[in-house]
This record gives sequence, structure tokens and C-alpha cells, in this order.
Amino acid sequence: MCKDCGCSITGAHRYVPHHEHRQTIEVLEDLLHENDRQADHNRAHFDAHGVLAINIMSAPGSGKTSLLEATIRALPNGVRMAVIEGDLETENDANRIRRHGVPAVQITTGMACHLDAHMVHEALHQLPLEGIDILFIENVGNLVCPANFDVGQHLDVILLSVTEGDDKPAKYPVMVRAADQMLITKMDLLPYIEEFSTSRARDEAKAIQADLPVIELSAKTGDGIAAWISWLLLNVSSRREIQDLTA
Amino acid sequence: MHETAIVQGLIRILEQQAAQHEVSAICKVNVKVGRLRAVEPRQLIACFEIYAEGTVAQGAELAIVALPVRACCKACLCEFEVPRFHFECPGCGGGDVDVIQGQELYIESFEVVGG
Ligand SMILES: Nc1nc2c(ncn2[C@@H]2O[C@H](COP(=O)(O)OP(=O)(O)OP(=O)(O)O)[C@@H](O)[C@H]2O)c(=O)[nH]1
Ligand SMILES: [Mg+2]
Ligand SMILES: [Zn+2]
Ligand SMILES: [Zn+2]
Repeated sequence: MCKDCGCSITGAHRYVPHHEHRQTIEVLEDLLHENDRQADHNRAHFDAHGVLAINIMSAPGSGKTSLLEATIRALPNGVRMAVIEGDLETENDANRIRRHGVPAVQITTGMACHLDAHMVHEALHQLPLEGIDILFIENVGNLVCPANFDVGQHLDVILLSVTEGDDKPAKYPVMVRAADQMLITKMDLLPYIEEFSTSRARDEAKAIQADLPVIELSAKTGDGIAAWISWLLLNVSSRREIQDLTA
Repeated sequence: MHETAIVQGLIRILEQQAAQHEVSAICKVNVKVGRLRAVEPRQLIACFEIYAEGTVAQGAELAIVALPVRACCKACLCEFEVPRFHFECPGCGGGDVDVIQGQELYIESFEVVGG
């Protein structure tokens, strides 16, 4: 008799498929463990310098860089920002930011459809963190992948432009669920896009995350930017409070 | 493809574990993926087949258990499965809920032929 399973087959052991006695080895390890560890390390860098890190996510072309440019113009004196730009290719977005005299590092990811914590780590060491209050991390334009990769941010912001359709929150629920703030952008175009209903977009987002705050704005006209700036400043000060408590 | 990054993480873990347990071939890998991770099981499997080649996991079966999203209502403490990402409590209609399942993305175990 076979001593492993008690069956009566002997001899021709190895030729009987069910006799490949399998051994199971338990592991229990997160597949993105390395990224998450690096992300915690990044966050420690930000915290050590009192930097609020905000991850900006949206579909390609929803207006992330335009929002950051409008933010540079509207941020009160004394609140200093920097930007890490993630794109598949080109330095364009970082150059747009630098033109305003704001420090920016471009990461070109090549094939990767998202930023990961290692890429952001390399970039953050090229920035003068001591002199920065808010670090924006503009993720690669993509509504799926970035939500899976913690890069060390404190807050996640998702942009939805009125040209994309008001059904997008329901189509990309994972990212909506992960967001701390949703922005409906390009509001100046709303009169031309009658299919888009801001209340429908808000309702769909609400079904996924009931208390997700939503701001409607236009980087072009500046409408709604004041509310965005208030949200930022509120978070800068609560970040500082947390910082002081843990210091 | 973020599946690539996830699979690379998995292969790294398997190589490490195989060395530690002195295993030369793995025949099955058991992974759990929550529905909130935006990971497509079929893509993960296709990607795994490619990246496993030439490693200790070559030819191994990747078995993925997809975990539905579950939440707990903060108001009435009702636990429920979240249908189609609608985070609304069936007990009291509230939307302020804690996600208690759906964020998983981990390897549970792997199987080797032995004995
Ligand atoms: N009318 C209007 N156009 C806008 C607004 N914001 C951005 N755009 C335009 O939308 C296009 C894309 O804007 P970007 O700011 O480059 O968008 P992005 O999300 O950074 O794009 P990627 O980084 O390539 O994903 C540009 O042509 C902008 O001029 C807005 O508020 N109103
Ligand atoms: Mg951009
Ligand atoms: Zn991806
Ligand atoms: Zn309830």
C-alpha cells in the first residue's frame, strides 16, 4: 500500500497521474509588496520634509497639466509646489510646468501605463523637497492601472472632463473608489456638450463612494479653481497638523 | 500592462521561495485577486505563461480566485456583498461603508510534485 495516500497501487507508482503526490507550500505574500514598501519609503521622505504629495489621475488629455498650470497661477504666495510628470514619452508636460518657474521632473515610462513607487523615488531625489509644500504627481493618462500602484502619495485626485461622457465614473469604479477628490474639468465646454450631465456624473460617483467631494472647474476660464485651491490649502494645513502630532 | 508588473512580482516571490524550500519545479500557483484591484485574470494568466518561461515556475498552472467586493456599513454594521461597485448598504441605504474584501492581491500558496 502506498504510504502517502493509502491507495493500493504499488510498483508502477510514477506512471499513475494521481500519484504525483503534490505538496502545497503556503506563502501569503502581496504581489506588489516591493512597490508598496518603496511607496512607504517615499512617503517617509515626504513626511520628513513636510511635503503633501498628491497623485493626479485621469484618462489621457482630461486636463491634468492644464489644471497644474492653473494651480500655479492661483496658489497664494508662500505655498510652494513642485511636479513629477509621468508620461509614456516626451518632456512636454514638465517643460510646460518649468515655464512657470516651478520645479518639475519628467519620468518617461516607455511601455508602462502607470507610475510606480521606484520611478517616483528616483524623481523625488531630483527635487528640493525642503522648499516644497505640495508635490503633485501627474500620473500617466490611464483610468485603470495607476490606481493599483501606491507611489507614496497622501491623496488621490481623479479628473473627469466633460468631453469624456458622464458614464465614466461607473466604467472606472476602482479609481473612483480610490479617489479623495474628483474634479469635473473643462466646464467651459459644457454648453457645447448637451449629452453631459454633471448631476449624472456626480450621482454615479456617489454610488461608488458616497462622500467623495466633487468640484466642477475650468482650467481655461479659472471657474471653480478657487474651490480647488481651498481644498488644497485645507489639506496642506491638516497634513502639517498630523506632522506636528507625530513629530 | 500593469499585469506585467504584478507577474514580475509573483515570479520574484516564487524564485525566492523555491530557493528557500529547495524546490526545482512548481506545478501550480494559487493567487487571490480582489475585484477592486482592476486586474483581469485572463491577462494575468497569459502574462504569467510568458514570464514563467525559463524560471522555476515554467509550465505551472496559475489558479486565480477572484474575490467579490464586500463591505460593512458604518451606520448599521450590516455586512454585504457589493454588486457592481454600488456601495450602498442593503440594510439602511447608507453609503458610508468600510471595504472588508476586494483589495486582495496576494499569493496564497504554490504546489510542487514531491513524495
Ligand atoms: N476648453 C478647455 N480645454 C482644456 C481645459 N483644460 C485642458 N484643456 C485642453 O485639453 C487638452 C489636454 O490638456 P492637458 O492639460 O494636456 O491634459 P492632460 O490630462 O495633462 O493630458 P496627458 O498628460 O497627455 O494625459 C489641451 O488641448 C488643453 O488645452 C479646459 O479647462 N477647457
Ligand atoms: Mg499632462
Ligand atoms: Zn497597467
Ligand atoms: Zn447600513
